[in-house]
Amino acid sequence: MNNQINSRQRNFVVGLIIIGLMIIGFFGLRTARAFRQFHGHRPPPPFSEHVETDVELIRDWMTVPFISRMYHVPPPVLFDALEIPEHGNKEKGLKQLNEEYYPQAQGIVLEKIKTTILANQPQQIQTNPETPVVSTVPATP
Amino acid sequence: MSDFLLTQIINYGAPLFALFLCLGALGIPVGASVLVIAAGAFSQQGILDWPLTATLGLIGAVLGDAISFGIGFYAKHWVDDRFGRSSTWRNAQKSFDSRAGLAIYLTRFLITALAVPINLIAGGSGIKFRRFMAYDSLGEFTWIILYGGLGYLFGSQWELVSDFISNFGGLILGVVVLGVGVWLGLRRRRSIESESRNEKIPEM
Repeated sequence: MNNQINSRQRNFVVGLIIIGLMIIGFFGLRTARAFRQFHGHRPPPPFSEHVETDVELIRDWMTVPFISRMYHVPPPVLFDALEIPEHGNKEKGLKQLNEEYYPQAQGIVLEKIKTTILANQPQQIQTNPETPVVSTVPATP
Repeated sequence: MSDFLLTQIINYGAPLFALFLCLGALGIPVGASVLVIAAGAFSQQGILDWPLTATLGLIGAVLGDAISFGIGFYAKHWVDDRFGRSSTWRNAQKSFDSRAGLAIYLTRFLITALAVPINLIAGGSGIKFRRFMAYDSLGEFTWIILYGGLGYLFGSQWELVSDFISNFGGLILGVVVLGVGVWLGLRRRRSIESESRNEKIPEM
């Protein structure tokens, strides 16, 4: 009886150690990969100071008004591009819009939104801090 | 599921965010940490009001924890009937009682996968509700400020942070499981050694 309890305890301990090691291995690799991706990025400047330009950040759970705010492109422009009415569709994600209006073409709504944003984004003033500013005014003695 | 919830948070704002955190604290897999990071990012983008979202989120999470503590409290008699006579269970409870504060605090933001089991165990142990609430509120506050703050800082790139934090949480869980296994193994070895030493001592 005592031997049976001992072997059950030993199996439990060995099981815990093996499961622990498996979890560490699995999540350790994923953490390292996520860290490499995360490490290369710096936080962007505050939202009020810059306009998002990377359309690869658009996801199919986003709504049109949300994307419009993020990329500073008016919602009617995006709805016109999708050829769907604005009324009744403001609260739907891109995936839901795709399923309702373009059930045969998977991902078409996301693609149309990306293309429209690239074509309609307000121009950002590009400043390159590494470029020296050359003064055309002669220095006063 | 998280995608659907994110769309709803964009549409309905802080009250729904608080409701989702409450459901998460009850053990429903809503991906609460992801939602907190996303809420921070949405606040930076001007979709949500950060102080209001953080306050309502904190209330929702603490309320959910209080309910799951209550479930543990009312299930205590059933657990006692079933396991109460086991010395292992009593030892585990004693051990939990002595470290309950730290366990409650750390499982709110570091080892979030264990938060609900800890709430249930705390409810069934001798811990006072007020003490539980103090550590719980502090832990949830840390969670919302830390995770939400990272989301706020990274804005539209919040998914990178979320991916890293979710996996890091899993890694910490693995370390805890391994640590418990090693600790139990060492304890078992020590008890076997002391038993064999006692057997060797000749009776006078």
